[in-house]
Amino acid sequence: MTSVSTDKLPPSPIGEGVSAPDGPWKRLLAGLLSSPTAVLSGIGLILILIAVLLAPLYANHVAHTDPFRSGLSAKIEVEGKTVPVMQRSTEGLGLGVTPIGPTWSGEYMLGADTQGRDVMARMLYGGRSSLLIAAASTVLTLALAAIIGVAAGYTGGLVDGVLSNLIDMMWAFPVYLLAISLSIVMIGKTFVLGPIELSSSSLIIPITIIGLVYVPYVARPVRGRVMTIKNSEFVLAARGLGVRRHRILMRHILPNVLSTLIVFAPMLTALNIVTESALSFLSVGVQAPNASWGTILQDGQSLLYSRPTVALAPGIAIMVTVLLLNLFGDVLRDVLDPKSARGR
Amino acid sequence: MLTIFLSRLLRMVIVMLGISVITFLIFFATPGSDPAARIAGRNAAPETIAAVRHDFGLDRPLYVQYGLMMDRLFITRDLTSFANRGQKIVPTIMSAAPATLSLVAGAAILWMALGATTGIIAAAFRNRLPDKILMGASMMAVAMPVFWVGEMINLVTQSRLHDTWAFSWVPPLGYVPLTSDPAGWFFALVFPWICLALMYIGLYGRMLRTGIIETYQEDYIRTARSKGLSARRVLLKHATRTAIIPIVIMFGMDFGVLVGGAAVLTEVVFGINGVGRLTYQALKALDLPMIMATVLYASFFVVVANAIVDVLCVMIDPRMRQK
Amino acid sequence: MDLMAISKTGRRGSALARLAITAAMIPAVVPALAQAQDAHRGGTMHLMAVASGGTLDPQINYTAQFWQLYSATYDGLVAFKKADGPESNTVVPDLAAEMPTVSADGKTYTFTLRKGVKFSNGDDVTTEDVVASLRRIFKVSSPTSGSFYNGIVGAEDCLSSPADCTLEGGVIADGTANTVTINLVAADPEFLFKLSAPHASILPKGTASKDMGNTPIPGTGTYMFTSYDANNSLTMERNPHFVEWSVDAQPEGYADTIEYKFGGTEESAVNAVMNGQADWSFDPLPADRLAELSTNATDQLHVHAQSAWWYAPMNVNISPFNDVRARQALNYAVDRNALVSVFGGPALAQPVCQILPPDFPGHEDSCIYTQDPGDTWSAPDMDKARALVAESGTKGEKVNVVTEDNAASRGVGTYLQSVLSDLGYDATVQTVSGDIQFTYIQNTNNNVQISVTQWYMDYPAASNFLNVLFGCGSFHPGSDSSINIAGFCDEEIDARMKAAMTLGATDPEAANAEWAKIDNAVMEKAPAVPLFTPRRLDLLSERVGNFEYSSLFNWLIAKSWVQ
Repeated sequence: MTSVSTDKLPPSPIGEGVSAPDGPWKRLLAGLLSSPTAVLSGIGLILILIAVLLAPLYANHVAHTDPFRSGLSAKIEVEGKTVPVMQRSTEGLGLGVTPIGPTWSGEYMLGADTQGRDVMARMLYGGRSSLLIAAASTVLTLALAAIIGVAAGYTGGLVDGVLSNLIDMMWAFPVYLLAISLSIVMIGKTFVLGPIELSSSSLIIPITIIGLVYVPYVARPVRGRVMTIKNSEFVLAARGLGVRRHRILMRHILPNVLSTLIVFAPMLTALNIVTESALSFLSVGVQAPNASWGTILQDGQSLLYSRPTVALAPGIAIMVTVLLLNLFGDVLRDVLDPKSARGR
Repeated sequence: MLTIFLSRLLRMVIVMLGISVITFLIFFATPGSDPAARIAGRNAAPETIAAVRHDFGLDRPLYVQYGLMMDRLFITRDLTSFANRGQKIVPTIMSAAPATLSLVAGAAILWMALGATTGIIAAAFRNRLPDKILMGASMMAVAMPVFWVGEMINLVTQSRLHDTWAFSWVPPLGYVPLTSDPAGWFFALVFPWICLALMYIGLYGRMLRTGIIETYQEDYIRTARSKGLSARRVLLKHATRTAIIPIVIMFGMDFGVLVGGAAVLTEVVFGINGVGRLTYQALKALDLPMIMATVLYASFFVVVANAIVDVLCVMIDPRMRQK
Repeated sequence: MDLMAISKTGRRGSALARLAITAAMIPAVVPALAQAQDAHRGGTMHLMAVASGGTLDPQINYTAQFWQLYSATYDGLVAFKKADGPESNTVVPDLAAEMPTVSADGKTYTFTLRKGVKFSNGDDVTTEDVVASLRRIFKVSSPTSGSFYNGIVGAEDCLSSPADCTLEGGVIADGTANTVTINLVAADPEFLFKLSAPHASILPKGTASKDMGNTPIPGTGTYMFTSYDANNSLTMERNPHFVEWSVDAQPEGYADTIEYKFGGTEESAVNAVMNGQADWSFDPLPADRLAELSTNATDQLHVHAQSAWWYAPMNVNISPFNDVRARQALNYAVDRNALVSVFGGPALAQPVCQILPPDFPGHEDSCIYTQDPGDTWSAPDMDKARALVAESGTKGEKVNVVTEDNAASRGVGTYLQSVLSDLGYDATVQTVSGDIQFTYIQNTNNNVQISVTQWYMDYPAASNFLNVLFGCGSFHPGSDSSINIAGFCDEEIDARMKAAMTLGATDPEAANAEWAKIDNAVMEKAPAVPLFTPRRLDLLSERVGNFEYSSLFNWLIAKSWVQ
C-alpha cells in the first residue's frame, strides 16, 4: 500500500526553467477560478473544514456529549423511552453487548462505538486530527524534500551520491517498524523543543512518520527539476555572465521548486489522509481516547457485523475528502504546469 | 555497459546494507525490544533469561550480533525467530511467498486489463459521458482506503449476503495453495484480487487516458491520421502503444513493491498468510530476525524494480543516459 | 507469546453435554456399548487459529494453544485428569504406574514406571528417558525451569550452566526396579502439579538438547504430530504404538486425524465454523458476533469459567500510585459493570474486587472497594474515591495507561483513562503491541504507572496468584521478567505467604483459609485494580459431539468425536 506511489504524481517537467513573469499568484488564482471543478472541490473542502472546526459546538449543543469520555453506562431517550446506550443481549444465551445504532437525531446520530461514545461527534473531532496530521505531514514532507532535492540536485557530486542513496533507502524502508518503534519510544514521554512541548498523546508520532514516508517521492522529482534548470541554457548563460550562485538559486531555482511543491501539496495531503487511516488501522497512529478517521475505522472494524455505520462513516469521509483534494490538485497542476497537464 | 551494470549492482548492495544496519539499530534503540525475556517465556527466572541471552548471542557486542545475523541469514540460512522459538526464517518466508505472489499476480492481471480498457475507452470518448463516468469512478477507486474496501467486501460476501445465491460460493478467508486445490485457490482469491486491483485500475486508467490524449497530439500520429488510417486503428495501434510505455515502467515498480510485501493491508484484511502479513506480525512482535529478513526481502524487490526501470528508461529514451 | 488461556472448574454443562459424558463413560464398563463408541471413531477434525503457537517443543512452548494439543500427544509421570469440570484439577498417575510414594519429610518422591508404554517411534519408555527429559528441562532453558523445577536437588547448578546439567542427587533412576526417585531441596506441596505441566513431558532420551522448533518430537500420547508449518498448518494423527493404559490420564482419541490451520481472521473463523467448514477456532470470538451467535448457535456454544483475572497493576513505587490512597481511590471508582460491557456482557465476565478467582482454592467472597462493602461488588463509590484522591494530594498528576493493542484490552484501557480523568488526573492511554506490552510493563526502567493485563493459573494453588504476582521474590527491578508488575513487596505479607505455602504441605485447608486472609491483606494495600473474571467461550461446529472442558487444557479435543 505504500505503493500508493507518487510515481503517479507528476514528473518534474523537463525543459525551460521559467520563473513565472508577472504576478504568478494572481495567475494561479485566476486559473483556479476559471475551472468549475476547482471552485466546487474548493468549496467542498472548505465546508469539511468548517464542519470539523465546529466539532465542539456540535458536541456541546447538539449531541450533548463528551466524545472522549467512555459512556458505557449512559442512557438516552429514544421515542419517549429511556434506553441504555450499550444494549445487553437478552435473547438466547444472553451473550454480547451491542452499542446503540444510528438514531438519526441529535444524540447518537450515527450510533455509539464500543465505548458508548457518540460516533458523529467523534467523526467531527476525528476529522480535525486527520486533516491536521495530513496537512502538517505534507508540510514536513515538502520541506524535507525541498532541502534534500535542492541540495542533491544543485550541489551534485558526492553530496548528490550520498543523498540519492539515502533517498533510495528511505523508499525501501519499512514504515511500520519506524512507527512501532517511535510509538514505544514515546510512551508517556514529553518532548520539549524550545517553546513547543509535545506529549506522546499529541499527534506528533503520526505526523513525523507520515511526514518521512513520502519524502523520497517528492525529493526525486525536485532533484530532477533542479538539475534540469541548473543545466538549462539561460542559467548557463547567466553563470557565464558572472551572476552569483546564490542569486541563481534564489531567482531561478527556488521559484521553480516552489511550483513543483505546490503541485504536490493537495495530492500528498490526500495520500496522507489515507496513510494516517492505515497507520491507525494497524494501531500505531493516533492514540485513544483521541480520535481520527483512522481510529474510528478501527473501532468500527470490531463492530462491522453488528453496527456497520461505525466503519462506513469514516470510510466515506476519507473517500470524499480525498476525492475533493485530488480533483482540486488536478486543476492546480494543470494551471501551474501546463505541459505536464497535457502530458498526463 | 558492464561498468554501468556493476555500479548499479554496487548501489543496490549499498542500499540494502544501509537498510539492514538502520533496521538493526532502530530495533536496539527501541525500549522494551530486548527479546530475551520474551524468548525465555512468562515469569522466567533471571538465570533462565541469562541462559537464553547467552544462547542467542544477545550478550555480545552489537556489531558481532549483526555479523552473526547476516551470516545465519545468508550463508548458513538457519536463522531462527525470536518470537516463535525454533521457527526458521528463510523457509518461512519462502513458504509465504507463493501466497503473496498469487495475490499480486492475479491482481496485476486484473488491473492491467481493466486499467487499459478504462484508459482506452475514456480516451476514445474524451470529454463525453463515458469518459466522465469512467474517470469519476477511477477517482473514487483511488480515494478509498484499501483495507476499508476489504472490510466492506467481507461484510457483504462473508456475512450479510453470504447465504444468498450471489455469494454462497465464497470460501472462508485465507489462502488455499494452488497446488493442493486450484479451484479453491481461485475462489479464495477473487475478492482479494478485486480489492487490491481497484486502486490501480483507477490510477492506470487515468494515466493511460492522458497518455493517449497526449500522443494524439504528437506529429507522427497526426501524420498517420492524415494518411487516412482509421481513428480506431490509430488509437489502438499507435497512440496506445506509445502511451503504454510509462505504464509498463510504473507497473514494474508497483509489482516489485507489492511482491515485496506492500500488500500487507489486503493480506491482513483477507487473512492471507503472505509476506506482508508475515512482516506485519514480525513487527508487532518486534521479532528482529524476521523483521530483518522480510525488510531485506522487500527492499530487494524495490531496488531490483528500481534498477530495471532505470534500464528501461534508458532503452526507451537514450537521452536519459547522460544523467 | 500468547498468555496461557488456561481455565478452571468447568461450570455445569448443558443437560445434553452431561448425557454425552455419561455415555462416554459407560463403554469402558459395558462391552455391549463399545460399538456405540466405535461408531464415533474416525474422521478428521478441523481446527483453526489466526496464528500458530510457535515452537512445537513441549518443554519450551508456554502457550495455551499448544498445551491443549500436548495433552493428547505427550505424557508426564503424572498428569491432570482428562475429565470435564472440577475433576480436571486432580492429579492422576500417567507414565508412572501409580501415585508416587512420598517420604515423611515431603522431600523424596519415588515413581514406579508403567510397563509396556511406547513412544510413537516404537521405542519403549524407560527410566533413562525420564532422567534425560528432566535434565532437558534445564538444558533447553525451559521457561519454568527456574520457577517450577528449581526445587529439585542439583537444579541450581543446572540453571547456572545448563549445558552440563546432570541433576546429580536430584533424579535417580533404577533400571532394574523400574523406578525413578526425585529428591527436593525442601518439601513442596505443589510439586506434583508442576510435574503435570507439559514442560515435564517425558521424551525419548536421544532428543537433542536444543529447541526442536518445528520438528516434531516423538511422544507417548494418543496422537502424534506428523507435520507442522508455523505459517500454515499442523497435522496430528493417531500414534500407531498407542494402547490406552488409563482413561483418566491419556484417553484414546476418537478422530483419526486432527488438522489445524493457521491464518484468516477471528471473524472468518466464526463464519467457517457456522458454515460447517471448520469444527472449532482457538481465538476468542469477536465481540460483535456474540449477540447473533447466542440466538443462532445456542447448542454449539460452551461457556466455562476460568481461573484467571483481568487486572490493572499500579506501580507502587512511582507517583501517583506510590500513595496507597490513590490506588484505593481507583479501586473505588472503577465501575466493574461497565467493564463487563466492554468484555461482552455478564455471561462472559464477572465483576471482581479481589485477587483469587471465584471457586479457586483459597477464594472467599469479599469486596472492600464498593458501595456497601461486603461479599460482592455492587457499584462504584465515586465520592469516596474523589475524597481519597484529594487526601493523597495527587490530583492533576499525569497518568498513562499502557494497554495491549487488541479490542478488549484497548477498551478497558480507554475506560480506565476516562475514570482517571473523572478523578482529576491528567490521564492518557497508550496502546502497545500485545507481544511487547507484557514484558514492557514489567520492567521498572520503563516507568509504567498503570497497565492492563491478565493472569491465568498454571496450576490450582493460591500461591500461583498471590505469591507469584505480589511476592517479593517475583520483583526484579530493571528486568523484563518481573511478574510482580506492581513492584509490590510487603515484608509482613511476604512472610505470611511463605508460611502459608509451608502449611499447605501438611494442612491444605488451614492454608487455604490463610490464603483468603492474605488476599484481603494484599487488597487493602491495593497494588492492583481487579477488573473481572473472564469466561471462556467455545464455538463448535454442529457435527462435533461430546464437549469436555479441562481447567488447564481447555477443550479436550481427543474426547470429542466428529461422526
